[in-house]
Amino acid sequence: MSEGYAILSLDEAERADHRGSHLVPVRHLLGFRPAGVNAWIADTGGQLIPPHEEDSGNEELYAVVRGRATFTVGEEEADASAGSLVFVEPEVFRTAVAREDGTLVFAVGGTVGEAFNPGGWDSFALADTYRQAGRLEEGRAIMAQLIAEKPAYWATHYNAGCFEALAGDADAAFEHLRRAKELDADGDSAQYFREDGDLDPLRDDPRFEELLR
Amino acid sequence: MKLVHVDELDRVEMPDGFVWRPVRRHFGIRAFGTNAYTPGATGRIVEEHTENRFEHEELYVVLRGRVLFTVDGDEHELGPGQVVHVRDPALRRGAVALTDDAAVLAVGGRPGQPHEVSSWEHEFPAIPHLRAGRYDEARRILHEALEENPGNPSTLYNLACTEALAGERDRALELLDEAVTGDDRYREYARTDEDFASIRDDPRFPS
Repeated sequence: MSEGYAILSLDEAERADHRGSHLVPVRHLLGFRPAGVNAWIADTGGQLIPPHEEDSGNEELYAVVRGRATFTVGEEEADASAGSLVFVEPEVFRTAVAREDGTLVFAVGGTVGEAFNPGGWDSFALADTYRQAGRLEEGRAIMAQLIAEKPAYWATHYNAGCFEALAGDADAAFEHLRRAKELDADGDSAQYFREDGDLDPLRDDPRFEELLR
Repeated sequence: MKLVHVDELDRVEMPDGFVWRPVRRHFGIRAFGTNAYTPGATGRIVEEHTENRFEHEELYVVLRGRVLFTVDGDEHELGPGQVVHVRDPALRRGAVALTDDAAVLAVGGRPGQPHEVSSWEHEFPAIPHLRAGRYDEARRILHEALEENPGNPSTLYNLACTEALAGERDRALELLDEAVTGDDRYREYARTDEDFASIRDDPRFPS
């Protein structure tokens, strides 16, 4: 097989736990660049896609590959069988519940008028899944890769800080979090520093004070 | 929310046998390119092609049935939930359905660029008419496509094909000249395109 293409089986690929759902981080695993692409699998029914909203301009398409799912979008609810395609407009609450074991949904997302720019939430979900499984070095490698790709993006340093806080390496966590604070010109991080439960292991450390200033 | 089953989408049967199911167009999606394909008369499900013209990176997901993909000369038999990611636009890719119920979803775009609707999405609906000799209908669709993308070389090229096949030599040569002026790659395509067999001997034909 040449390096110009790749084959991925969604059933056999690495999975990440993300807010109570099982994510196949397709974009991360393949390095697909034109749009956000991921898959969600519910082995034993239940929550398939975590409840969320997408930002202004962000369009999402879901394709039910296997099984059956109930989608809730805003006030609407609809049953989608295998072969169904569901389009969701930006800024509307959405979630899906699997009605059959093994339901598999492929998702595509992007922002109108903008080149696709991955936020890295999917990569972070995989890193965090590795952390919880004790595979710290694999998780760290993903975080290092995200930082190398976007060294000036505060949220990646912030997430790396969360990763280290939860992994128990306070020194590394503070280093990442200080950098996040430095880079966050608009002060968007302040609320996270105040409220994020991921940082609880650090809150009694005297070094935490400076992050709240 | 808008929901559609792949079997309910429009079906545009293309001359080499695959059936185009316009997904992006159905929903009015603007952020990325996406389409579904099902097999037509010949069993082909994904056109054999490269992405050299649009420089798109592509991803195909098998939604249903069994599909034999050929990428860069390698064959892969795939089923539901299997994905082919073609990063290199120059690689030749295509697929045939091994079961009648097969369906494939494609996603593509040019990395680092905001999505632009590919001109072929406007042009494809004209092709079945063109091959069936319904030139007026093909012209109508292509002129609409040209209104969407004024001066688009690909659309001008397809209009030139239509006029050449319809026997409108002068009009065909004019349009072909415009297409080549807009994008010089069409000079190369025109050299071997059978649609231009009737006008290739003309001194005005781009050499």
